Order: sequence, then structure tokens, then C-alpha cells
Amino acid sequence: MTLSAYLALALILFCIGLYGALTKRNTVIVLICIELMLNAVNINFVAFAKYGAHPSVHGHVFALFAIAVAAAEAAVGLAALIAFYRSRKTVQVDEANSLKH
Amino acid sequence: MMNLAWVVPLFPLGSFILLLLFGRRWKQASAYVGIAATFLSLLLALAVLVDRLGGSTYEANWTWMTIGGVTLTVGISATALNVWMLVVVALVSWLVHVYSQGYMAGDERFSTFYAYLGLFTFAMLGLVLSPNLLQAYIFWELVGLGSFLLIGFYFYKEEAKAAAKKAFIMTRIGDVGFFIGMMLLFWQTHSFDYDDIFRAVGDGTLSPGMTTLAAILIFIGAIGKSGQFPLHTWLPDAMEGPTPVSALIHAATMVAAGVYLVAALFPLYEASHAAMMTVATIGGVTAIFAATIGLVQTDIKRVLAYSTVSQLGYMMLALGAGSYVAAIFHLTTHAFFKALLFLAAGSVIHAVRTQNIEEMGGLWRRLPWTAPLFLIGALSISGVPLFAGFFSKDEILAAAWTNGPRLLFWLAVAAALLTSFYMFRLFFLVFAGKARHHEDAHEAPASMVAPMLVLGVLSIASGYMQTPWFGSFLGEWLTDGAYRHEAAPGWIVVVATIVSFAGIFLAWLMYGAQKMPRDWLSARVPYVDELLRRHYYIDDIYRLTVVSLVSWISRLLAYVDRFLVEGLARLAAGIVGAAASAGSRGQNGQAQTYGAVTVAGLAILVVIFALTGGYWL
Amino acid sequence: MMFLSLLVFSPLLGIVLLMFVRKTDERMIQWLGTAATVPPLILALFAFIQSGRGFRLERLDEARDWVRLADLPFLTDAAYVIRYELGIDGLSLVFIVLTAVLATLAALASMLVKTEKKGYFLWLLALEIGMLGVFSAANFVWFFLFLEVTLVAMFLLVGKWGGFERERAAYSYLLYNGLGSALLLVVIAVLLARTGTANFALLHEMLHNPAAEGQLIAPLTEEGRRWLLGGLLLAFAVKLPAVPFHRWLIRVHVEAPPPVVMLHAGVLLKIAAYGMIRFGVGLFPDEFRSFAGVLALFGVINVLYGALLALRQRELKRVLAYSSVSHMGVVLIGLGALNEAGIQGAIFQSVAHGLISALSFLLVGVLTHRMGTTDINRLGGLTKAMPLFSGYLLTAALALLGLPGLAGFVGEFTSFLGLFQTKPALAAVGALGLIFAAVYSLKAVLDITFGRPRDRQEAVMGWREPQASAVSICEPQTSGASLGEPQGGVVDLQGKEAVPAFILVALIVAVGVYPQLLAAPLTAVVETMMNGLGG
Repeated sequence: MTLSAYLALALILFCIGLYGALTKRNTVIVLICIELMLNAVNINFVAFAKYGAHPSVHGHVFALFAIAVAAAEAAVGLAALIAFYRSRKTVQVDEANSLKH
Repeated sequence: MMNLAWVVPLFPLGSFILLLLFGRRWKQASAYVGIAATFLSLLLALAVLVDRLGGSTYEANWTWMTIGGVTLTVGISATALNVWMLVVVALVSWLVHVYSQGYMAGDERFSTFYAYLGLFTFAMLGLVLSPNLLQAYIFWELVGLGSFLLIGFYFYKEEAKAAAKKAFIMTRIGDVGFFIGMMLLFWQTHSFDYDDIFRAVGDGTLSPGMTTLAAILIFIGAIGKSGQFPLHTWLPDAMEGPTPVSALIHAATMVAAGVYLVAALFPLYEASHAAMMTVATIGGVTAIFAATIGLVQTDIKRVLAYSTVSQLGYMMLALGAGSYVAAIFHLTTHAFFKALLFLAAGSVIHAVRTQNIEEMGGLWRRLPWTAPLFLIGALSISGVPLFAGFFSKDEILAAAWTNGPRLLFWLAVAAALLTSFYMFRLFFLVFAGKARHHEDAHEAPASMVAPMLVLGVLSIASGYMQTPWFGSFLGEWLTDGAYRHEAAPGWIVVVATIVSFAGIFLAWLMYGAQKMPRDWLSARVPYVDELLRRHYYIDDIYRLTVVSLVSWISRLLAYVDRFLVEGLARLAAGIVGAAASAGSRGQNGQAQTYGAVTVAGLAILVVIFALTGGYWL
Repeated sequence: MMFLSLLVFSPLLGIVLLMFVRKTDERMIQWLGTAATVPPLILALFAFIQSGRGFRLERLDEARDWVRLADLPFLTDAAYVIRYELGIDGLSLVFIVLTAVLATLAALASMLVKTEKKGYFLWLLALEIGMLGVFSAANFVWFFLFLEVTLVAMFLLVGKWGGFERERAAYSYLLYNGLGSALLLVVIAVLLARTGTANFALLHEMLHNPAAEGQLIAPLTEEGRRWLLGGLLLAFAVKLPAVPFHRWLIRVHVEAPPPVVMLHAGVLLKIAAYGMIRFGVGLFPDEFRSFAGVLALFGVINVLYGALLALRQRELKRVLAYSSVSHMGVVLIGLGALNEAGIQGAIFQSVAHGLISALSFLLVGVLTHRMGTTDINRLGGLTKAMPLFSGYLLTAALALLGLPGLAGFVGEFTSFLGLFQTKPALAAVGALGLIFAAVYSLKAVLDITFGRPRDRQEAVMGWREPQASAVSICEPQTSGASLGEPQGGVVDLQGKEAVPAFILVALIVAVGVYPQLLAAPLTAVVETMMNGLGG
């Protein structure tokens, strides 16, 4: 296996995540898509740590950090979502537009 | 003593500064400061003259400013011409200082008057000592300042205010010509020094075209200052100033500065035939032009003012005809007899308190000193034989005949006829005939009569420096012996004499004996009379052309400024505002739209970096 | 050596002390505020005198680490380090002295400011720090920082202590100058990014020495340099201002309190001239040649446009505002000439106009205080009631119109001398401005000081016909003036006000009579620049 295969996988994963985050209307799906993008990044970290120009453990450490931070972020995001649902009775992204103009 | 010549202008400068600081406290005593200062100047100037008579030119320079590798200097140059002018200026200035003590007595701003006189004298003395064009320009303008301040001395009179402003602006127009000419010469010769410029003219560094251009541009400055046509209109108006000022500045010294400048730059002018012709033509035209206007004026000072313009035209004609000596000779004699005439006129005004000659008459008995002195001046300016004006005018006519175009010669002769006519018209109207209700008219105090006496003597004696009979002392000295008397035909003297007597006779017929009706001219050709009374409508022409043109451009620009420039600024502001409101429409609150735009922006940047390698300049 | 830091930041002491003064103690505030401007004045004069005796100004250079943007391994050690650097040469020194002198005089003249004195002086001192800093900065970033200090201080001074339309004027000022600054910032950023340094001397070295060119982070093409110079010139043209960008100047001149205009017209406008010389001619001499013609053309346009518009104004402050536009044109003319005389002329004109406009606005302040108006149509015959004031005003007018013997002439003469070498025809057209200058300044000032007082004013001034000599009485006189003793309604220039006016006139005369005074410290600078130009 070469580095490029991992990178290609990460790229595909990232693009799926990006597409979902920009198009889906349900906030839960959007959050899941963001997780996908983070995981794509994690794959890159690990892949470079193993096959990059200077293989080292730094990449693994960063990936672990990212997973931990992503978990925290998911928790905060879901909490915010629940608060939003309580006030608006909806979880649709396009209805969260009170900041317009 | 010549190395001390630089001190000469400093006395009046000191008087100016002292009077400015303490004049209000000293009041009438201020006069003594001014008189003492100019007297010291005169003494020193005479010492310099004596020294120069036997010696050669002395020159000294000091650094004024360095520009890169070029050093501009100021200094003094004691050429024969400069030393001669120094003495003439110092002398007339001192006499006027003395005279003013009586004339201005009781004025609230007495000390200010003396301060201004000091400033003017300083500037004029500095001007005639200049070894280079830059210094000449500096003092040239300062002289204009002195004139401006003194014309506007009666500041509360609207006429004085307008006249002062006009004098400054009209001469400034000429000065800009001087300025441009000076700059052009500098870059051709890399120096402002007269000597370097003459050297460049001599060895052909200066092309003939450039010589002519520079000479004519500088002559424009002389036109402005010397009240030559067409920039003469300020000089008659300048008579709003106190009369001693008219005598000093607007007759004897400052207005002669133009003549002096052309004389000082004479080698430059000589190198260009076109420039010489211009000078001669302007001079000749001015001489006759101003003389005709002088015929119909009714203000005593204005008659004298137009006669000054006319006489200055004579000097210019002499210069243009190549007779440097004749011009300086006439400048000197004119300085004396014109100063005398003005001071006498001042004495008349002092006695009768009007300037209108129609309201005067029969003053011969009432003013036993002034009247004969005025007569001496009038005889001298009319060119009656044995008086100073006769010799100098004769010299000019001879030069015009030998070197100038014939037309200019005959113009000069005609102007001589007119001159003697209007001068004696003035004389008969003021001093002859019945006394008109001036019971209290009395002779001026001694301080006013004494300077007139000195000038009266000079108005006769100064002619004998340069005569066909006793030799040409002045000419030989001014030109370092190179001078030779023009071999003019003898009949010119006869013509000149006949002409001057004819003018006097005509004036006597009309105004003295009243054998001829006064309205002889105006009855026959009323429109000519009107034309002359309105000074050929020159002022009106300026008002309708130049002034209104500038005013229109200015108005137009005001609109441009208010609407176009401001409008563009508003437009720019409006565009920003519109862009802002358009941009805020984009804020639709949809986080996903923002995200999409961000991604698109990132994509564009990536593409640009990929294509250009990061740098696009 | 901390000399320059001390010089620049010494007004801070005044600011700190002022904070402890009660707002209502106006005498104390005035006294302290004026005193606070004295230390920089003393230091500046000291430096000026020392440099005249041959002290080498480079020895005053200061440098300290300030910000280290990044330590990238492929860059040299110095790269992307922005240091706190001050350093002066003859050019800066002349302007520093001008600033210090005018600041003290403006502080003296501020006694006519009555409202919120404490805040006023705080900002005035801040303005002085900014101005001194601008001229002392030896690197672009600090130049910019000090420039922004002046912008903010000036904005507040105009906006809070100005006339009726003060807020509009302040915003105008902020917008135009903010845009100029923004453009300047772009240029600075590009230069910093390309060369890794903001220090003037280093930049100069890197841009000109072919050997040092290798040190550039990325090469600057010929075209790139021209864009940068264009940006610089445009930025400073707004601040100068050159003609289409001059509207803000008019508003500020009319609305700002007169002592502030003394500093604004006297120093702030000159920052643009200083910038054009230091950065334009100094850093991009070769490219500057291609802009010289345009600059000269704009200079002539400025001169004529300003003068022609000044002709029409009937409000003294507006006349002076447009005359400022006209005089700044002379600076452009000097720069456009691009020879020794021209550059020296531009500097001379800057200093001369600084002194002259300071004098004019000092007098405007007094006039506003005494008469409540500067409307020419409502004034007249002031010579009678205020002879001293009128004398000074006339002197200011004569200096404005470039009378030889006063400072204005030296600037105009030298600038025009420069342009006559390179573009005589254009220069000759520009010289017509000299005529218009005489017309507008005399018209405005004579209408105020000469003639008769206008209707209403006669009563205020206790006008009576001056007692002239016996002779002038023969002139036809218009009667109807209210005769009588002066009622003391109008007071002439008082001792305390006359001091700054006298100092300014003395300086104007000194520079005009003996310009070598100013030329001496500039010789070396101008020579260096001419070497850069290869001329």
C-alpha cells in the first residue's frame, strides 16, 4: 500500500463529508458529516505518520487529540442542537437564519 | 571706501527696524531718525562715488544658499552705473525725508511713514548694488513692497486701497516675466551673475533665440516697474499716496528701476536686435501715448504722473536706440526735475488743499518760493536750452535719429512738443491768472522749501555733466572712456528747441493770455477728448478682458470644485454604500451558504497559486 | 542612547501629569499643556545646533527588538523581525524642529480654546508625539503606527473642538486619510513580505544593490516596483493633498480650531511631502523618473487651481485653505523637477508653508476671538483699531504671495528653479500662479485691514476718522462715520498672543533672508538622493 491510496480515501471521505455538511437540511446529519471530515483528517495524520518523509509518532498523537476533541465537539454540538430545538421546535438548518442581514 | 558700499543700504534698514519697534513712542521725533539714516547713506555713497571716480569696479559676494553644487550669492558690485545710481537714490531719498517732516506733520502714523520710507530706500539702494539677477529680483520686489505700503498709506481711503493693490498686482505681472527670464538664463549659463551672463552672450553659449527671449521676458519686468505701455495703468493711480512718496518712488527712483535694469543688462540687449527694437518701440509708443493723456488731466499729480510715464518712455527709447549713456543721463536729470516738480506740487497742495488744477490759479504771489522753483522744473522738463532736461533730451533725440527707426524719432519730437505744452498748461493754470478763493494759501515751512531749492539747483546744474560744449564727463566715466558723442546732425538741437518753445507758446496762448479758447480741441474732436480723458479706455479694456476672463475661469472652477470633484467623492462614497447594502443582502443567515462560498473562495485561491506559483507581481 | 525616544515621547510626561489636574482648573491645564511641549523643543533645537557643529546624526540611531513574526528556517535571521527603530538625518531633523516649534506655538495659541481644555490638550500632545514619531521613525511599520496616531488625534480634535460642521469635517478627514493610509499599508505589507525588513536603510540597500538583491525573499520586478511607487505616491497625494483629493483639506481648515490648523497645515500636510521624498525618491529613484512628469503636471494644476479658487472665496479661512492647496502644488513641482534644486525646493516650500500657515491661522484664531467672524464681507478697516494685528496679517499675506526676503519666496524660487531646468514651458505656466497668489492674498487681507469698517462693526470698534496730515484732508471724504473716542470694544494683539506671532515672523524672515540656515543640514541628504537618481 502506498501513501496515495490512503490520501485518496481521505480525500473521498472529506468530500463526502463536505458535500453533506453543505447540502443536508437536518442538523444531525450535518454534524455527522463534520465528523466524517474530521476522520478524513485523522486518516491523513496517521498515513503521514507512517509513510511520510519523516515518520514519527507525532501524527498518531495528533490523531488521538483530534478524536478526543471531536468527541467533545459532538457533545457540545448536540447540546446546542437540543437547545435550538427547544426554542424553535425544529432541527432544520435552513430555519436557523435569525442572523440574516 | 568702495568695500564699505554694502553699508550704504543698511542705514535706512536700521531706521526701518528702529521705527517699527519704537516709532509709536518717538512720534514726531521719528523723522530725525529717518533723516539721519539717509544722510549717513548719502555721505557714504558720495565717498564711494569719489573712490570710484578714480578707481575701478569693486565686487564682493557672500553665500546666500547652496543648492547641491551650485552656490547662489548675494553681494555688491560697484560698477560706475551702480555707484551713480546709489548717489542719485540716496540724494533724492534724503531730500524727500527732509521734505516729509513738514509735509506729513501731524499725521497719526507719522513714524510708520518714515519706517516705510526707510524700507523703500533700503530696497532701492540694495537693488542698485546688485551684482546678479537673483539679488536684483529680490530687491526689485522689495522696492515694489515699499511702493505698495506707501501708496496704501491712507489705508482708510478705498481709492488708496485699490491703488495699492493695483500697483502691486500690475508690477507683479511684469515681475513674473522677469522671473521666467531669469530662470531661463540661469539654466543656459548656470549663473545669475551679470558677468557670467555677459560672458555667455559674448562667447555664443547663449543662442541668439534664447538671448532675445530672455531679454524680452526681463524687459516685461521693466515694463511693469517703469509704468511702460501696456502695464502703465497703476502709476497714475499710485498718486493716491502722499505726495513726497510720489516724488521719491513714482517719479525719481523706483519707476526708473526698469530703466536701470535694462541698462545693467545692456550687453544682453545689445546682442539681440529684436530685443533692442522691442525696447525702443515700447519706449517711443509710451512716450507719445502718455503725453497725449497728460494733456487733459485735471489732477495736478496725475498730470505729473503721466509725464513721468512719458519721460520713462524716452529713457527706454534711448536704451533701445543703443544709447546707454543718454538713458542714464536723462534718468538722472529727470530724477531731479521730476522730484522737484512733485515736491513743488506737494507744496501747492499743502497750501490750497486741493489737487484739482481747475480750482487753482494766481498762486505766483502767494507762493514766492514754490512758484519759481516749479517754473525751473517745468522749463527743465520741457527741454528749454540751458536747463538740464535740454541736454539729456537732446542726447536721446540724437541717438534716436542715428540708430533708431525714423518713425520713433518723430514720435519723440512730437512727445517733446506735447510735454512742454501740458507742463505749461499746468503752470499757467496753477500760478497765473486770477486767484480763486485761496485767501489762506501760504508758503510751506523751510523744511519743505530747502529740499526744493537743492533740487532746483540740480535741475539746472546736472545738465552740464554731459554737454556737446564742455565734454561728456558722465558718458566717459560710465563707459570707462569708450564713450564718443553721437555725430548727430546739428539741426536736431534746433528742432528740439523750437518744439519746446512752441509748446510753451501754445500753452500761453490758451491758458496764460487766453487768446485761444480752451475747448479748442474738445470742441472740434470731442471723441478724441473723451478718449484721452478716459485714458484710452485701457483700464476698461483690462476690466472687460483679462479681469473678467480670470473671474469667469474662477467661477467655472468653483462649480467644478463644488459639483464635479465633490460629486465624484460622493459618487465613490455612494458606490461603497451600495456595495455594502448589496453585500448585506448576501448575509441570508444560512450557515451552509456561507460554507459553500468559503469553499469556493478557497478553491479559487488554490487554482491561482497553482497557476502562478504564488507571485503575480 | 535614548535620545530620540526621549525626544519623541517626552510629551507623554505632560499627558501623565495632565491626568491628575482637575478639569476645571483651566489656567493650570493651559500652563501644563504648554510646558509639556517645551522638552521636545529643547531637545530638537539641541540636536539641530549639534548637527550644525558637525555632530553625526547617525549616532542617534536606536534599535530594539519588537515583534518577531516567524522563525522560518529558510530565511535569514533578520527576516520578518519588526524592530523598534528610530533614526534621523538632516531631512527629518528639519521637520522635527518645525514640529517642535509649531507645537509649542500652537499650545500657546490654544489659550483661546475654552471648552474641555483637558481633553483638548491630551489629544494635542498625542498629536505631537505622532508627528515627532513620523519624522523620527527609521522603519516603515513605526512610520505607519505614528501616522495613525496623528490620524486619530486629529480626528478627535476636529470632531470635538471644531466649528459648526465639525463632525462632517472630521469624518471627511478620517475617510480620505484613512484611505490613503490603507493604500500605504498595502505597499508596506508588500515590501515587508518581499524583503523581510521594514528598515529604510536596509530596504534601500536591498532594492538597489545588485549583490544584495539575492537576499530578497522574492524578486521584485520592474513593473512591480512601479506599482508600489504608484501606490505610495497616490497615498501621499491624498494626504498632501493633490487636486482631486483636496476637499477634505478645505473642510478641516474651515472647521478645525485655529491652533489645531496651525499644526495641521504646518506639519501634517508636510508628512506627505516628507513621505514622497523619503520613500518615493529615496527607495525608488529609477521608477520615480517615469512619474516625474505627472507629478510636475499635477503640481502646476494644484498651483493654478488652488489660486484661482482662492480668488473667489469671501471667507478668510477658505482663502487660506485654497492657498494651501496652491502651495502644496509647489512642493509637487519641486519633486517633479527631480533635480537638486527641485528636491531642495520641495523641502523648503514645505517648511516655509508650515511657518506661514501657522502664522496665518494664529491670526485667524485671534480674529475669530475678537470679531466673531472671519467673513471678509463683514470686516474692514481693522488697521485703525488693531494696527499690530493688521501688520502681522499683512506680513502673512506678503509671505503667502512669495515676497522675497520672506520664507515663501525661497521655497517657490527653488522649486521653480528646478522645474525650469527640466520642463521650462510647464514651469512658465505654473509661474502665472505667482500673479494669482498676489491677487488673492492682497484682496483678502486688504479688504479686512484697509478701507472702512463695515456697518455694524463701526460701533463695536469705536471707529473714528484717523487724524491725517493736513494735506490728505483735501481728498473727498465720505462722511457718516461715527466719530468719537474708541470704546475699547476691540483689543489689539496682546502681549501673550503677540509672542508666537513675533516668533513666527522672525523665523519666516530668518529663512527668507538667509536660507543657508536651512540649506546646510539638507545638503548631505539632497546629495545622497541625487546619487540614488544617478544624476
